[in-house]
Amino acid sequence: MRERLVIALSAVLLCLVPLVVPNYTLTLIVEALIFGLFAMSLDLMVGYTRLHSFGHAAAYGMGAYSTALILLHFNLPLPIGIILGVAISVVIAIPIAWICTKSTGVSFAMLTLAFAQLGYAMIFRFKDISGGSDGIGGIPRPAGPFGIDFFQSKSGYFYLVVFCLVGSYLLCRAIVTSPFGAVLTGIRENEAKTRALGYNTRAYKMAVVVMAYGFGSLAGALYTPFAGFVAPELFFWLVSGRVLIMVIVGGAGTLIGPILGGICFMLLEQQLSEVTELWPLIFGSIFIAFVMLAPDGIWGLLTKRFRSKQVVPGDGEDGETSRATP
Amino acid sequence: MNFAGFIVAQTLNAFSQAAILFFIACGLTLIFGIMRIINFAHGGLFMVGAYVGYSTVAYTGSFWLSLLIAPITVAAIGGIFEKVFLSKLYVRQDAGAYLMLTFGLAIILAQAVHLIWGPQPRSVAIPDLLRGVVVILNQPFPIYRLFLIAIGAAAAIALWQFLERTRAGLLIRAVSQNAEMVHALGTDVALVRTGIFMLGCAIAALGGVLSAPLVTAFLGMGSTVIIDAFVIVIIGGMGSFLGSIVGSLLVAFVQVFGAYYFQDMALAIIYLLMLLVLIVRPGGLLGKEQ
Repeated sequence: MRERLVIALSAVLLCLVPLVVPNYTLTLIVEALIFGLFAMSLDLMVGYTRLHSFGHAAAYGMGAYSTALILLHFNLPLPIGIILGVAISVVIAIPIAWICTKSTGVSFAMLTLAFAQLGYAMIFRFKDISGGSDGIGGIPRPAGPFGIDFFQSKSGYFYLVVFCLVGSYLLCRAIVTSPFGAVLTGIRENEAKTRALGYNTRAYKMAVVVMAYGFGSLAGALYTPFAGFVAPELFFWLVSGRVLIMVIVGGAGTLIGPILGGICFMLLEQQLSEVTELWPLIFGSIFIAFVMLAPDGIWGLLTKRFRSKQVVPGDGEDGETSRATP
Repeated sequence: MNFAGFIVAQTLNAFSQAAILFFIACGLTLIFGIMRIINFAHGGLFMVGAYVGYSTVAYTGSFWLSLLIAPITVAAIGGIFEKVFLSKLYVRQDAGAYLMLTFGLAIILAQAVHLIWGPQPRSVAIPDLLRGVVVILNQPFPIYRLFLIAIGAAAAIALWQFLERTRAGLLIRAVSQNAEMVHALGTDVALVRTGIFMLGCAIAALGGVLSAPLVTAFLGMGSTVIIDAFVIVIIGGMGSFLGSIVGSLLVAFVQVFGAYYFQDMALAIIYLLMLLVLIVRPGGLLGKEQ
């Protein structure tokens, strides 16, 4: 209940943001929120099913590129463009999920990486469509259906992103708390046992991979019309590495943690890179500090503080969050 | 251009490419075999090796000395990192933690190189002894690439013999099979781990020094080469030393001949190869089935 209150409160606070912050800061915040969504989508795989994907950039890149091509070549309203972009990505994700779930562990990670890098290579292969290394520029932000055009402005787009982020969060939450989500947790804890209980774990894993790619491609699709351009780097493995770090720094298996991780990561990066040339050094050190000192991530730190004040020791709830890290 | 000469030249090219790839892939696979760590910093260590090699040549004028100093420096960095950070995590058995730690180190190394050597690429001259070309079947071929093939083959054989014939090699293989049992039999497993990590770093640095005269030392060299190395390790089988040799050769040949015959698909082709191998044999060609 308290958690729900906190979420509702933060959503309301988020909605007030465009009224108080300057224009430039708003750009940063929108990008940070998009990355929060991206990190959360990966958490479905990493945190809940223990499928360490090392190619989640594929989801982002597919969403970004398909939306870019749709908006560029068809005169469609923006939301329709984004929805179609996600739909295309989900369709492409199905065979990827089918192949990747054939294996587990490290080779699963490497298969996902292979697909992301394959996407990267394909951008260069089909230069005529994708623009090759130049990427695609000048992507429009067309007005919506029925003449709705409020998301053409930056603050309007901010609300669109907040809407998608909160909506996706509620959807993902519903997924992980459903019986379906319980099976996923079963796979995370012990796949062989879950299979022995009669669940077709491969099908569940495929489903969660497709879902994660779907939400991830939504993040990419939201990025495209906002930035106005796409580049092949969206597929590059460093993006996958970064988002995986965001999930772990935020606190895997909590959904809200990766969102926070993604937002903090992006905002810190943008701020620090302006202030000092040393920011990568600081970043690297932050990761290392988190691994060594706070393995449960940001959300783990927050809730631990919260718990030690609020919860009576020995309460049955204890230890639930600490198991979240894969 | 005669066909036989072309094939021979390309084959030699592929072998020299395989030598460079082997230097980075074998350290990666050895470290994985012993520690179950995917070392993301390995590309960074390779790059640091190249830069330290550059500085050694710049100050002493001796390429041969750089082949000694760079691996020692990088092994020291790796050893300190392993002792101070990685070794604290072995009890936790958490793949995500290793990932973050080595990713963090990779970022720090990249920035450190940027700060110390600056953003511009640094070229290293080929030593006098290895400059020039030899003519093979009417095709000129650089002597330096032949040298790479020789040193790559020598390193592969030496490491293989080290792993198969010496007591240290026996311990390394034993730890990769069952670390607890080796520990129970009275061997300092922590020491073996530190040793293998340092060895892997040293070999990567050697590869970095050797590749610097070919491609110059540049800031992105770590992040491009590490992905090739991952592909090799996956194809060959995680933790398999012979697999890293086979994988290096396979990837190098596919890259060299693929770039010629399928120019459009040059980038994609090694990932397609990796997908194919993983689908047919999820554990890699010479790896254990997972």
